[in-house]
Amino acid sequence: MTPFDIQGLKGRRVKDRIFTSMVWLLTFSCLAVVFIILFYLFKMGIGSLNWALFTQGPKPVGEAGGGILNAIVGSLMVVVVAAIIAIPIGVSVGIYLAENRGRKLSDYVAIAIDVLQGIPSIVIGIVIYIWIVKPTGKFSALSGSIALAIMMLPPIIKNTEETLILIPTTLKEAALALGASYFRTTLKILLPAGIGGIFSGCIIGIARIAGEVAPLLFTAFGNPALNFNVLKPVDTIPKVIFAYASSPYDDWHRIAWGGSLILVLFIILLNTIIKIFESRWKVQF
Amino acid sequence: MEGTILRTENLRISFGDNNVVKGINMEIAEKQVTAFMGPSGCGKTTILRAINRLHELTPEAKVEGKIFLHSENINEMEAMSVRRRVGMVFQRPNPFPTMSIFENVISGFILNGIKLKTDEKNEIVEDALKKVALWEEVKDHLKNRSTSLSGGQQQRLCLARAVAMKPEVILLDEPTSALDPLSTAKIEDLLYELKGNYTLVIVTHNMQQAARISDKTAFFYLGELLEYDDTKKVFTNPKNEKTQNYITGRFG
Amino acid sequence: MEHLQAEMDALRNEMLEMYKIVLSQVERAQTALIDNNLSVVKEIASNEKLVNAKELQIDSRCETILALFTPVAVDLRFILSALKININLERIGDIADNIARMVSHTKPGFDRALLEKINAKGAFALSLDMYKNLLQAFEKEDTLLARDILIKDEALDNITDESVSIAEEYTKGHPDSIIQAIPVISIMKMVERIGDHLKNIAEEIIFLRRSEGT
Repeated sequence: MTPFDIQGLKGRRVKDRIFTSMVWLLTFSCLAVVFIILFYLFKMGIGSLNWALFTQGPKPVGEAGGGILNAIVGSLMVVVVAAIIAIPIGVSVGIYLAENRGRKLSDYVAIAIDVLQGIPSIVIGIVIYIWIVKPTGKFSALSGSIALAIMMLPPIIKNTEETLILIPTTLKEAALALGASYFRTTLKILLPAGIGGIFSGCIIGIARIAGEVAPLLFTAFGNPALNFNVLKPVDTIPKVIFAYASSPYDDWHRIAWGGSLILVLFIILLNTIIKIFESRWKVQF
Repeated sequence: MEGTILRTENLRISFGDNNVVKGINMEIAEKQVTAFMGPSGCGKTTILRAINRLHELTPEAKVEGKIFLHSENINEMEAMSVRRRVGMVFQRPNPFPTMSIFENVISGFILNGIKLKTDEKNEIVEDALKKVALWEEVKDHLKNRSTSLSGGQQQRLCLARAVAMKPEVILLDEPTSALDPLSTAKIEDLLYELKGNYTLVIVTHNMQQAARISDKTAFFYLGELLEYDDTKKVFTNPKNEKTQNYITGRFG
Repeated sequence: MEHLQAEMDALRNEMLEMYKIVLSQVERAQTALIDNNLSVVKEIASNEKLVNAKELQIDSRCETILALFTPVAVDLRFILSALKININLERIGDIADNIARMVSHTKPGFDRALLEKINAKGAFALSLDMYKNLLQAFEKEDTLLARDILIKDEALDNITDESVSIAEEYTKGHPDSIIQAIPVISIMKMVERIGDHLKNIAEEIIFLRRSEGT
């Protein structure tokens, strides 16, 4: 080793070790936070996970027990309807953006999506209130779904676009060279090839809106009774968590913890699904 | 020329301000292999892709002049029907990754919405795979993903996919440049056999390949057709000095 | 590489034809001289055109294969040897034609006793023997047979060398045969050159196989 190598070697080794340790530490603390939250959630919520939580509606003030069946049903309805609205629109816009890169219109659409993503959820809620709830004169799960659908669009569109861009053009060319129409090429070749990424985008969208409260305050509003009608107001899990947690009753706090746990478990489930299917549906080019 | 199947009339192609192809007049003979060769940027691939109108995927591409398939003007026909009659094999093997080997062979029919009965499908697949000497290797794994095959096999699968549509012309854009020498030799033998029944137009960077398998060779340079003759003549006694410089490697 | 193989097979066939055509020319020359058969001379003359055409055909095919297939290794060596063998065979054909011409110009025919003494028959027989061995060596790619030819060529050279002094002796005793002596010696020398060309071809065949250890 020449003198130039030895010079400062010790100092560099020390710096290296400090840096590596810091990275480790910060990562660890990040994970630690997540685990602490989950742990606490489990600790507080596991006690309230009983049959009643899932099968009963709320009991009147003062009575013990009760559940959040109405909120569970409400959440499912609102999320499913939002997905039904948002997925076809989102995927189509994603396809448009992927196929028309460089056009002025695509640029404008992309900017619009970015802006949409940044709009606070409460604002979307208010807008839907003015567009739909006020003219029709009633709160409904449907109006809530519309608000949520608007919020779902950006992740779906972005994921669809990015997935499709990654598909080599040569695949599209091969299909067209066989005489296929643009429509059939997209449907039978491009979408199946991108199904992994598109599916992830949809699940991410769902995960995003599953825990939202603000946009539903003036749209779905809330409903202590069990309701399967989309044209009527419904309660959702995040909303009842908020309502019960801010109440003075211990019993209701317990239910709020249970609801929180369910919600978080649901999000974890969604993320697991993404991981499983993404690798299963991974297409090699 | 006798038995002409493709003919260009003052074909010019430009991308924006860039004139890539400058007035080509040529006739391509039926049931022969015609090779397009020339240095990078000479326009050979551009012309090839204009024959099945794939240039339309590039928005700035402009084609002037005429290309005739038999006596029909290609640019006045429906793009999709041109492409059904003129097949293409690309540089990198591109079988459809979400389809099985079986489905890939009949993908042309699937993508055109043509319904086939099961025995028709089986017959077409077996026939096409036999034509590309792939049948024996894959006949027991037809349901496997097409991406499970090796590069050379995938390219033969793409050839089978084109052949299954019974096209009148097959265009090949440097079909072996991504393959190893053994696979390349196999495909060259295949093309030599196929030319009895199909017209083949092949763009190649590898002039030895052009010499080995083609009947006629066209030499392009900077968008112009400098020489177009029987392959034997081009490689033993070319008329144009630039052709000679190119094939002897004395270019530039 | 089927295409290349088809061309190489065609070349091989054309060479075999060349061998055979030229062989029959040499046989005819022998008939002309030894049996004093002049009708054969016309045949030789007309077949000479065929020999030339065949030579051009083989040259053209070699050129085609080299230009289109850039052959290497055994294929390349075969083509290069084919070109050399081709030239040698064509020369042999030429020589046979010249012998025939000489025979037809020498009237009323050669002195039989002289021919006996110089062993013209033996010389021809030896050269034809060499030729047939060569044909076999080519067909079977047999280098041992080819080496045999080199040995036989030495024997042929001996015969033709001796023929000069024998002819000289003979003309001393038969002065009228002097006019014939010169063309006869020429012919013997020509037969020797046939042997030389056959030797060249044999060397090509050996060279072709040398690197393969056969």
